[in-house]
Amino acid sequence: MTLTTSPTAERRRGLTEREVVSRYLLIQTVSFVITLWAVLTLVFLAMRALPGDAATIMGGLDASASQVSAMRAQLGLDRSLPAQYITYLSDVAQGDLGASLRERRPVVRVLVDRMPVTLTVASMAFVISLVLGLGLGLLAGLRPGGTFDRVALLFTTVALALPEFWFGFLLILLFAVQLGWFPVLGLPPQGLTLAASWHLLLPAVTLAIPRAAQVARLARARVLEERSSDYVRTARSKGLRPWAVAKHIASNSLPGTIPLLALELGGLLTGTIVVEQVFGLPGLGATILGAIGARDYPVVQGVTILAVTVYVLVNWLADIMQVVTDPRLRVS
Amino acid sequence: MKIRIVPRVLVAAAAALAIGATASAQTLTMAMSAQPDTLDPQVTSATAAFQVGKSIYDGLVEVDQSGRIVPALAKSYSISADGLAYTFELNDATFHDGTAFDSADVVATLGRISAEATASPKASEFTNITSVVPNGDHAVTVNLAKPTPALLASLASGWGAMLPSEKLAEGHDFGNEPVGTGPFKLASWVRDNAITLSRNADYYQGAPALEQVVIRFVSDSAVQYQGLSTGEFDIIDTVPQAQQAAVESNPALALVREPSGLVLVAGINARLPYLNDARVRRALNMAVDTEIVLEVAYGGGTQVGTFMEAGSPWYPESVTPFAFDPEKAKALLKDAGVPSDFTIKLVLPQPYPQHIQAGQIVQDFLRDVGVNAEISIVEWGVWLSEIYGGPHDFGMTVVGHTGKLDPSGRLTGLGTDRNYTGVVDDEVANWIATANITSDPAMRHSLYSQALIRIHDDAPFIFFGTPDRVYGKKAGVVGFWMTPLLDSFDFRAAHFE
Repeated sequence: MTLTTSPTAERRRGLTEREVVSRYLLIQTVSFVITLWAVLTLVFLAMRALPGDAATIMGGLDASASQVSAMRAQLGLDRSLPAQYITYLSDVAQGDLGASLRERRPVVRVLVDRMPVTLTVASMAFVISLVLGLGLGLLAGLRPGGTFDRVALLFTTVALALPEFWFGFLLILLFAVQLGWFPVLGLPPQGLTLAASWHLLLPAVTLAIPRAAQVARLARARVLEERSSDYVRTARSKGLRPWAVAKHIASNSLPGTIPLLALELGGLLTGTIVVEQVFGLPGLGATILGAIGARDYPVVQGVTILAVTVYVLVNWLADIMQVVTDPRLRVS
Repeated sequence: MKIRIVPRVLVAAAAALAIGATASAQTLTMAMSAQPDTLDPQVTSATAAFQVGKSIYDGLVEVDQSGRIVPALAKSYSISADGLAYTFELNDATFHDGTAFDSADVVATLGRISAEATASPKASEFTNITSVVPNGDHAVTVNLAKPTPALLASLASGWGAMLPSEKLAEGHDFGNEPVGTGPFKLASWVRDNAITLSRNADYYQGAPALEQVVIRFVSDSAVQYQGLSTGEFDIIDTVPQAQQAAVESNPALALVREPSGLVLVAGINARLPYLNDARVRRALNMAVDTEIVLEVAYGGGTQVGTFMEAGSPWYPESVTPFAFDPEKAKALLKDAGVPSDFTIKLVLPQPYPQHIQAGQIVQDFLRDVGVNAEISIVEWGVWLSEIYGGPHDFGMTVVGHTGKLDPSGRLTGLGTDRNYTGVVDDEVANWIATANITSDPAMRHSLYSQALIRIHDDAPFIFFGTPDRVYGKKAGVVGFWMTPLLDSFDFRAAHFE
């Protein structure tokens, strides 16, 4: 969906660094707006295609048809679809995400309340998958066929084959139920506090394991590729110490994993939806599932906007990181 | 040096644990399977909202442990002979924001729930009110267009909660920042996680014993049980059937089993051929052993033969549940000309595993009498809009109807096409409508009885019964109770022994 352009391509056309950067930013911004509009329209229509609306659900078994239609009118759901769509888009363009139909407060407040849990889990998971994935991949790739490589292969195969909720249950059974090191329920009643952030370690590990495996596989492949380069052979034949060779291999091969890492980071947001359910965490995953069930359109749309924005930002960041870490992509 | 530090750390840790222990003795933690959508009592119909709201708000009247309606914020009330005027003498009470409760609050509260702008799902229960007149600060008269014997029940239910008039005038957000006169104030609410309530020292009935009540939202009953057995929870609102024996045999825990206010049924869509024949609907009742359905799917309960919870004073004595008799069912179906390949769509609501299990049992029983039930499981929003309302795209569906303090709440709509079963019977509708506005208790009773007896004969539902309400607690927790019929949590007298 995103229209991408790389700084390298621009550089080849002989533009100055400033021009390259501003062109890049312009194209990225336009593509972000188009992506956001397309996704929002899709979510807007998909939610309304679902039978039932917030008024039906709030009315439950007891409200009469006339009471439900009074509620529908009060929530603004009785207006025509195009009218609702146009109002919504113009509100979003002005930075107004609307109010939750169920919680009856601004969507922004809902997001600000719920985001910290999801972001903490996702960033912890990212760091874990980065360290674990790159570490495993590098060590396995430096000695292909060795014992460590085989163990790593076993780990990555198992980690990729099993669904993440299964790891979640396994970790809960072992560390929370058997050993009692973690509470069975995700967070204390006050929600996310600094003191309670370690409660998020199990969900973060759950989320990180399959992603670490993917990163490890790619990193290993890159390292293997790099190992057979001419400069490595030359360096070895000149008697460079193995760790120094490994350093060169690492610094040349690991930047190649950045695009994958960016994809993984984007995927972490969707992955948390499942993991938050397993661990009973009050994050964005629980929010969007609850909002879909309650037909709380503005909240579903709000979480979508947030997710798209984060996804696009992460990809920008990855582009920039790639330029920073790979000197060949830099403008002189 | 190092050696000295270790014991100090241990002493500090022990002290911290001791402080933690005394603090937790004042704090009761309960696990709840559902969660409120809002804490504004006038804009929701969710049981969960009223279960929690009971601790935050009070009504003019309330339900006591035996199910009777007794005075609460009103210290007494009187009803005029014609049933058209209810006069309430008010207690001295204070809202959580420090303002005094008085007649202006009653006027404003009842005004808001009836107002069109509020769009309350319960508004229709208050439509007969013509005026609410204060007689000084401490008395108020509610005038009605028609006798409304259900008015006290509405005022005793969660949606009858009294709200402060000053805050109502400001358009205060009661949904997120509730202000009531209740025994506890809202301390914090982390959605999908927990609600923390703190003691209201100024409570007009005397401050509750507990310092704090923490209500954790735990939808998984296995996790609830785990929390009870590890000591994380003091009370859990559902005990999985498989663990009930374990809770009962554990001396540190207690299993509470009491009748609920639910009526569990399989609604039959009488708009469809064959199902529009009362003989067929009675045959379906005889084809299903509802005792097994109650036992296996709902953990036990009492069978009913009409649309009223077991044990209710409104339940007609002459009505007995349909006896399980597959042979008679087959004969009736044959009589009615039901073809041998008769198939019905059995729609089950997805968030309720118990209803799904009940549906599967019903499917088995129906197969034995030659009726093929095709199960389709739908999400709750879809169920409400397509099955219960709207196009009624089903042959049969399983659901539980929650308890109501007054029979009008349960029965209104039956006998009309507005009811999802579509069994239209003008006499039934008329008896119910008349009973709803009849003051004379004996007359009212006989009208509802007539309707309930006809509902048994017409069988718009397969009547399963009223399940037991089974919850678990630590043996040391005393004084906690759930309101009969409404299932609200009452922590006012709860404490640890």
